[in-house]
Amino acid sequence: MKFLLMKTAAVVAVFLFASDARAQSYSPPRTPSGEPDLQGIWQVRNTANWDIQHHAGSYKTPAGLGVVVDPADGSIPYQPWAMEKKKQNFADRATADPVEKCFLAGVPRTMYLPFPFQILQTPEEVMILSEYVHTVRWIPLKKLDRYPGYESWMGDPRGHWEGNTLVVESIGFNDQTWFDYAGNFHSGALKTTERFTRTAPDTITYEVTIEDPEVFTRPWKMRMPLYLHKDMNQILEYECFIYAQEIR
Amino acid sequence: MLHLRAGNSITISFLVGFGMLSVYAQTRGAAGSCPFDSVEFHKCALERAKTFKPPRTADGRPDFHGYWTSRHNGAVWDIEPRKGQGSLVPATTGVIVDPPDRKIPYQPWALVKRNELRSRPFDDPKGHCAPSPPPRDSFTNYGLQIVQPIGYVVILYEQMHDYRIIPTGGRARLPEAIKLWHPESVGHWEGNTLVVDNRNNNGKDWFEPSGNFQTENTHVVERYTMIDRDTIHFEARIEDPTLYTKPWTIALAFTRNKESGYYQLEFACYEGERDMQHYTEEQGRGRSNAFTEPAQKQ
Repeated sequence: MKFLLMKTAAVVAVFLFASDARAQSYSPPRTPSGEPDLQGIWQVRNTANWDIQHHAGSYKTPAGLGVVVDPADGSIPYQPWAMEKKKQNFADRATADPVEKCFLAGVPRTMYLPFPFQILQTPEEVMILSEYVHTVRWIPLKKLDRYPGYESWMGDPRGHWEGNTLVVESIGFNDQTWFDYAGNFHSGALKTTERFTRTAPDTITYEVTIEDPEVFTRPWKMRMPLYLHKDMNQILEYECFIYAQEIR
Repeated sequence: MLHLRAGNSITISFLVGFGMLSVYAQTRGAAGSCPFDSVEFHKCALERAKTFKPPRTADGRPDFHGYWTSRHNGAVWDIEPRKGQGSLVPATTGVIVDPPDRKIPYQPWALVKRNELRSRPFDDPKGHCAPSPPPRDSFTNYGLQIVQPIGYVVILYEQMHDYRIIPTGGRARLPEAIKLWHPESVGHWEGNTLVVDNRNNNGKDWFEPSGNFQTENTHVVERYTMIDRDTIHFEARIEDPTLYTKPWTIALAFTRNKESGYYQLEFACYEGERDMQHYTEEQGRGRSNAFTEPAQKQ
């Protein structure tokens, strides 16, 4: 398993350098109404769920390359106090990680959990539905005013198409989710801007910019490929907290 | 209200039906162009469906796209007729339209079991944030959203953020060994009606907190038909030869939510579950049997 993940990480690294050029040359399939077609069942093959930065192996965490591409050294630009909190989170991760507690994983972590998700589209919306605790992301593409004061685990997304790319901007988060098992975190001021671009028949290049002036010194960015599941015709379920109670 | 619902990750009362009584009160009266009472509604809706021509999607399917309200006639508390209970649980005539006595045709042992479960509403899995298999997901005081990507009907349930991705183009069924909280829903169109066959039920959920239960053999076939532009006739036939003496049928209306600028909120249940203080010691405070003693174990 570990070997597989490390090999995958190497492939990911090559892919990351090549992705910009491929995005420009590849023409994605289109829906009958003309939008780029992102529909299918997708999943990452990386170790980002455990640590989004470059990391050595540790208990439950295979060593792996990070997915932070900006800053170029792959490190998250924390404010000094936040770096201390991250270290404490890391120390407490076995019990404090929200995903260890079976809670909703938030954005962007839901996109790189080790669970598949299905993308479905109409001209008016994009849905991203995950196996992990039956998570729903419903992303309207048309103008829709946000509810004031919205505070949630999964955020309040709005999407639009830029060429072949689905751009999803989300605010309205709480401060309860982590980016990974390693304790990388954010505040309720989080804004995510995600870019989904189909760059090959079986690949979406997923990029997300993280803005949170309360925790970081500047915006930063992750990038990784999402792979199409070719052997699945449906996603099933992972009812995490129920299973946890069943073995208690 | 909106902020409260989104921000506090709603705590769940052990009677899941409790809450938003005002919404329930608004559902009395008529259901679209038909009477509200389930039996009367069902009879009327079957007639309306013969002549109503539903709006169509670009690819020609009946168009259910939009937000809907479940007019469940108290089914979130009890799907059978029931007298009111205190100020929280209103009297209901239930949603069963067949058999005519509006009661579930239990085998004798199963009725005994049901009555025993009824005395332990705190063991209702939904009271502990479990997802709801069909048809229970259609009894809700919260929102329903229907979306129709090509080849699918997707239903997003605000409560518990349950969802169903229903393929309508034919698909091989899952092996029987895979039992699920969300049974596999496979659909097809019969004229203007979406017919959904649900299998691979794990049988662990109840129909509501009144102890009406099911097994792994419970098989639910649903029919969704638009009877006017703003009303869907929802019908479900439930069969289980290990539990009931014959199949039985429920019916209710979904009416269109036309509120401008509306969208469904996040209903994060387990993340905010703080309701254990409402359970007494003998009710299993801190540890319910909801997931460790499934209803079908005798």
